[in-house]
Amino acid sequence: MKHGKHPPVPDFVAQAAQAAGLETELSRRGFLFLSAGAVASVAALGLCDALAAGRKKAGPPLVILDNARGVLLADPARCVGCLRCELACSEHNDGRAQPSLSRIKVSRALAYGLEGPGQGRHGAWGDGLVVQGVCRQCPHPVPCATACPQNAIVLDPDTGARVVDDAACIGCRLCQRACPWGMLVFDEARQKSSKCFLCHGRPKCVEACPAAALRFVPWRDLTREGPAPLATLSVTPGATACVDCHAPALKAPRPKTTR
Amino acid sequence: MKRAVLVAVRASSRAGRLIGLADVRAAVLALAAESPDGPPDQAELTDERLAGLLAAHPGVAAFASVSGEALYHAPDLLSRTYARILDRRGSPALLMAEEIRANSRDYPRPVPVELFEAEPFGLSRADIEAALKTLAADPECADISFVESSGGAAFLFSERFLPRGYAQFLAERAESLAENP
Amino acid sequence: MASTPGGFAGKVLRVDLSTGRTSTEDTVERYADVLGGTGLGYRVLWDEVPAGTKPFDPANKLVFATGVLAGTSVPCSGRTAITTVFPSCWPRALVGSGHMGGQFAAKLKYAGYDAVILEGRAERPVWLFIRDGRVELRDAARLWGHGIRRATLEISQEMGADCCVAAIGQAGEKLAPLATVVNSLSHSAGGVGGVMGSKNLKAIGVQGSGGVRIAGDMEQWGRLVRFHLSILGANNQHVVPAFPSREAEYYNPGSRWVGEPGRRWGAAEPPVEITGSIRDMNRIAYRTNSAAFFLGERAWKHTVRGNGCTSCPVRCHTTLKVPAVAAKYGVRDTAQGTCIALNFGRFFFPTLPDGPKGQAALEACMLGMIMADDMGIWSNYGQLQRDFIKLFKDGVLKAKLGAAEYAAIPWDKWRAGDPAFLLDLVPRIGERRGELGFVLGEGVGGPFDRWGIAEETWEADHATTYWKMGHPKHHANEDDGQCGVIINTQYNRDAQCHSHTNFVRNGLPLHEQKRLAGEIWGSPDSVDAPGQYTPMNPHKARRAKWALLRKELHDCLGLCNWMGPWVASPLKERGYRGDNSLESRFYSLATGRALDREGLDEAGERVFTLHRALTIRDMGARDMRALHDRVPRWVYEDPKGAQPFTPGAIRMDRADMALAMDQFYALMGWDKDTGAPTREAYARLGLDDVGRELAAKGLVPGGKDGGQG
Repeated sequence: MKHGKHPPVPDFVAQAAQAAGLETELSRRGFLFLSAGAVASVAALGLCDALAAGRKKAGPPLVILDNARGVLLADPARCVGCLRCELACSEHNDGRAQPSLSRIKVSRALAYGLEGPGQGRHGAWGDGLVVQGVCRQCPHPVPCATACPQNAIVLDPDTGARVVDDAACIGCRLCQRACPWGMLVFDEARQKSSKCFLCHGRPKCVEACPAAALRFVPWRDLTREGPAPLATLSVTPGATACVDCHAPALKAPRPKTTR
Repeated sequence: MKRAVLVAVRASSRAGRLIGLADVRAAVLALAAESPDGPPDQAELTDERLAGLLAAHPGVAAFASVSGEALYHAPDLLSRTYARILDRRGSPALLMAEEIRANSRDYPRPVPVELFEAEPFGLSRADIEAALKTLAADPECADISFVESSGGAAFLFSERFLPRGYAQFLAERAESLAENP
Repeated sequence: MASTPGGFAGKVLRVDLSTGRTSTEDTVERYADVLGGTGLGYRVLWDEVPAGTKPFDPANKLVFATGVLAGTSVPCSGRTAITTVFPSCWPRALVGSGHMGGQFAAKLKYAGYDAVILEGRAERPVWLFIRDGRVELRDAARLWGHGIRRATLEISQEMGADCCVAAIGQAGEKLAPLATVVNSLSHSAGGVGGVMGSKNLKAIGVQGSGGVRIAGDMEQWGRLVRFHLSILGANNQHVVPAFPSREAEYYNPGSRWVGEPGRRWGAAEPPVEITGSIRDMNRIAYRTNSAAFFLGERAWKHTVRGNGCTSCPVRCHTTLKVPAVAAKYGVRDTAQGTCIALNFGRFFFPTLPDGPKGQAALEACMLGMIMADDMGIWSNYGQLQRDFIKLFKDGVLKAKLGAAEYAAIPWDKWRAGDPAFLLDLVPRIGERRGELGFVLGEGVGGPFDRWGIAEETWEADHATTYWKMGHPKHHANEDDGQCGVIINTQYNRDAQCHSHTNFVRNGLPLHEQKRLAGEIWGSPDSVDAPGQYTPMNPHKARRAKWALLRKELHDCLGLCNWMGPWVASPLKERGYRGDNSLESRFYSLATGRALDREGLDEAGERVFTLHRALTIRDMGARDMRALHDRVPRWVYEDPKGAQPFTPGAIRMDRADMALAMDQFYALMGWDKDTGAPTREAYARLGLDDVGRELAAKGLVPGGKDGGQG
């Protein structure tokens, strides 16, 4: 689809628009969600090529359907704010003491709670409560995995945890934008994303907590509970978007009964 | 058999209880009922045999109860100190006297009377007063005495092991710890 | 240039507040031999702050420094030392350090710095913004005059909730010698707030996304961390519980290990019961409840949780919720603190209506924590409160405060033990209002200088617990005989050394303590039972030296001397042994520079000796024995006339203490007559430059050149 004043629409954008039923919008208004300027800068970054190349490499999008077999539960009333969980995670998994890399997130809520300074009731300066951030190992559709243009978020064979395949990650950060709870980690030094992968079934944070505030339990869906604090970027790259969600119903509906 | 005996003692200790030979025997038989080998020989289950097995086991501690019966526990699950406290719980005067003496002898220090209200002693004020009266009347327990701190708290000690003056000092010191951070 | 060893962040930030210029230095190049922390502080003061510099002169420097182990998972590694010419040191200000925990040390490391050196004086109030490599001085006009709570909030709004703010309150702004710097609510460094105020520096906000590199094998590191956790006791490394337990052979009603299964954090929502094994590594945080230890049973129902420094599982601060104080006094219902700061409020009252562990005591402590940590007032280890009481009782206040001021103070409330009294008194001190507010904030030097009180009157009164140079005893003969006295002679403020007291109060029976003492310090005679003191011997001197060097070492490494050293443990299977080499094992793994125990202790000795050198230089005198290492009169007296070395007496003997100092000096390699380090002692420790400079001033024993020709 070509538009006189703007650069050509990349194929994958057109295909996504079509899959979403929005190709008429695209023809009328130009790019749906990539402005000309954005495309230029994205092109300058080589991202388009990377996305396109990645798409070719990764093949059809990886859709995670299986649930994880375990999940972390955190009890805020027991959290004593020592940050040993964050230190255990980064020391064990990154080889350095660097809480900014921790896949369990407590520092951000320590002083003023998740609402931030002056906004809420929790944290050490409020009522003392520290609300820990743990990955919910979301069921399908997994926001971070879906957002990843490289299919780099895969299933851990031991636990079913959603884990970033380090080698495949191209550092585009789309997964960070997609997570409703802000649980993805980005290692600036390595330019790689990371997330909680439950440490092959023996989570280090649970082991490290001196207040028994963390548990590793059989998985259940936690995504419907509690507010999701972050607006998420909904991204569905790839030629064939999720067929299950966007296809019409396969069976005829059962007629309504009057009794 | 040896294993069964250990299992019986450890189960009991884990539950916070001491176990005598009769209960060891009962536990061993209960375990044997589920075992494919069937019940052990009667000869294996005499007091002498069981006591021998228990004595030989490094993971089992034994002592003579207040009642004279041999009692057993696994010290890594139930410490010797705690075991003896449990044993003496039926006799508050003895319980207090022995604990007071042990503290005066081993640490050394007098003990605040409130210690005996808390677990694992669990004595009421009335129990404590009655026990102290009993001790006062018993010539064998003439060594048990008390000092009063300047804060008005009573600290019990044994004159056999702790001179009064030093007991007074230690009582004041104990009380002062919360004022000397 | 060799790459930075692990552990170190690698850079020291230097901020000239007079010019606004900031610069960095390489930590290892300049300061590796003094490790960090107080060592780094002493080195800066030696090299850059001349003798005679006064605390509030722009020429004074304020050195915030942490250590190699801070920011890692090493337990109890969240400490920052703040070194400067110390304001409350009387009559002449000398080198001293305040110490604080909280999040500051770790955040500073993650921002990429081991230390911040503050120099000069800003023209207008400023605060220091540090985010990774970005450093700015920002205008603090809107923060000045406000408390620490508001300053922290507003800076956090600018930087983000995950920053750490170290700030002064009104007391520091107004140059009170008894002013603190506070971070993370309740983590206060004593005595240094006024220096920050004199530089017009309101706060430091630090935020960092970096980390600490550990040079050694991470498997080994993880094992050592787990080992350290396994030998931890409760607060102050008390290794037996306060209650008889199935899981312990020993107990001690005076232990700080009060977290008995069955107790609960009553103000948690819902309450948290303490259950399970007291040995469980996942339950270390339940062992300690400082509020319950100091304020008794009632504190449990007001306990929200424990709190404390980054990485520490002990949680020696208690977060308390007491709704009554909101209703009665109009303050918030939640506060936290530990130790002397937790007791700030109640220590002002000679009597309280329902005793030292009653409701009034609890409310007074809440008010004290909330107000003192917001206005940034230091208690000088309780000397503020003791002085207040004595000054009243001696009639000094009535004589020295004007009639109007005296009448305006609600003395009836004080006599009644009404915590509301603090609502009047504490702001006077924080805002330095009136004669009383001003003088109390000066420290003991206030009454001495301004009201003409002789120091001797304080030295003679047991109740003051005054030691020397404007500060009180801190775990002296009442805890630890000659060892405690030696330790208390060595600093220019209260000693802040807990190495010795953590051991003698650890709750083990005497025979176990003596057995361990034999292994650690060479003889069971290095330890006496409290109040059963025996005449001095060289083993006690060895233990005193160990205590001092280790304290200095902890202050250089970012470790907590209120927990360490970890030479005893709760573990019967280890014979209750801890590990006397833990510090050096961690240091070696973190940095990749192998140092054994003796090697690291030598660095500690270097740092401690540098402190000695600074003291000598700035006193302009070398006769430390007579002029500095003083012991107050009351130590040699007993109210009931008891003799030294009799059971129940803490009274010391002058000749015996003289011998004690002889032995201590000999062990240090210091001159026996003066207690001054010799040229050889300096040289042996790599401080030859220091020795040479002091020798040129005639401050080294053995003639002007120190006997070196």
